[in-house]
Amino acid sequence: MATTVNAHMPGLVARVLVNEGDQVTQGQTVVVINCMKNELQVVSANDGKVQNVLVKEWDEVEIGSPLIVLE
Amino acid sequence: MINKLLIANRGEIVSRIIKTCKKMGVQTVAIYSDSDKAASYLEEADESCCIGPSNPLKSYLNIDAIINAMLKTRADAVHPGYGFLAENYAFAEAVVSQGAIWVGPPPSVMKAVESKCYCRQIAAGVDVSVIPGTLSTLAGLKELRQAVQEYGYPAFLKLDKGGGGKGIEVIRDENQLQEVYERVTRIGQMAFGSSECYLEVGVERPRHIEIQFIADSFGQCVCLGERECSVQRRHQKIIEEAPSPVVGENERNTLFAWTRKLSRAMGYEGAGTLEYLRATGGEFYFMEVNARLQVEHPVTEALTGMDIVQKQLEIASGMPLGLQQDDLQISGHAIEARVYAEDPDTFQPSPGKVNRLSFPATNEHIRIDHALYEGGTVSPYYDPLIAKVIAWDETRLKAIQRLTKALREFQVTGIKTTVPLNLHILENKEFQEGNFDTSFLEKFSYK
Repeated sequence: MATTVNAHMPGLVARVLVNEGDQVTQGQTVVVINCMKNELQVVSANDGKVQNVLVKEWDEVEIGSPLIVLE
Repeated sequence: MINKLLIANRGEIVSRIIKTCKKMGVQTVAIYSDSDKAASYLEEADESCCIGPSNPLKSYLNIDAIINAMLKTRADAVHPGYGFLAENYAFAEAVVSQGAIWVGPPPSVMKAVESKCYCRQIAAGVDVSVIPGTLSTLAGLKELRQAVQEYGYPAFLKLDKGGGGKGIEVIRDENQLQEVYERVTRIGQMAFGSSECYLEVGVERPRHIEIQFIADSFGQCVCLGERECSVQRRHQKIIEEAPSPVVGENERNTLFAWTRKLSRAMGYEGAGTLEYLRATGGEFYFMEVNARLQVEHPVTEALTGMDIVQKQLEIASGMPLGLQQDDLQISGHAIEARVYAEDPDTFQPSPGKVNRLSFPATNEHIRIDHALYEGGTVSPYYDPLIAKVIAWDETRLKAIQRLTKALREFQVTGIKTTVPLNLHILENKEFQEGNFDTSFLEKFSYK
């Protein structure tokens, strides 16, 4: 079953740290969001393989925006 | 004189600049990104112009978009405010090359002072103390080794063209030398497009004291007093005040003399700030130039009764300062609290919709600079500073009491703000006694 890693804060995507096909582990930082000039790390709640990266640098995101899809 | 001024910024500073323009009869153009289209100050300006999407790279940092807005609205001058493109000489050059007036120092001066080593050399050349260290950038690891041998550990490696607290790292011993050098040069290349760096010794428990000055294009330069800005975290100032509790008449005169010498040696014109560090033994060192209007300028305005933005516009129009150092009237004590949209405990950002607003009365003792309104949104895309509350009174203690009372009456719901932290600082005994340095908040127990 696919799960998504979602933004916990609104802002701009500062960095995407994973690529499609990467294996991620629970607690790993996958995306960094710039919110009010603060860099906030978005960590994966699960282990899994990255099926899809939905955002790129400088994209605007809201709370709950899906960022990464994990298999 | 300027006819129509474009304000290339957002938030409270736009409203602040419009106030002076109205007083002077200068027309104003406000610019906005998509997420600022309902900003309160757009109605205060004579005209407004959308410059792009919320992403600041595509709007407030987009030189072409702002120049287009300037041409479209036929503005004949640009005030950059602070932050964004305020210290970007390419932007200043672009404004000037269109025949418009840049409200700030000449672009060539902006370009030169971007280099901290250039400023250090200028200072050394006119006998102003700088923090001990190299005056030139280091050619490589070998030169860094030699410099460390001369100045000892711990040493600070700093980017020549860094900023915002980035690209400053401590080297504690020989083992860290190469690693730190590689990291700082990499950050420099990535964030600032320049990997040049230099070495400074550490100043223990310094106080951050800066001098506000204004210089015209006829060689006249007047200092408007100092500001004490030692209460900060992550290089972000929280409380600023003037006069400083530790600057006496002799020290002030020295700092004023240094500032005038440096301003002249740099060919500076307009309003500017020179930042100094004060070591625990009372020695002062010149640190850097802020070639723009600063966030905390209202502290100086409250202390001197001067309108710094008006002076900026007059100087940019080619008018003489019309003021001597002896004309300056400094009276009483002014203190400012910056209110950030952040959780006061964790400092996590707190953007969102503002539901209710309730402010203290403003009068000759209390000034509030802000761009908030009920139902408005504090955007996640920009700086968390949402308001500045400034108090003035005859003595430091009375000014602190005024500010405390005002902050208790400053209420915003819907977002978290740092007002509770501001109040804790103002009520702290060490703070009240004037006994603090830049590490004050690190040791500060909030609870």
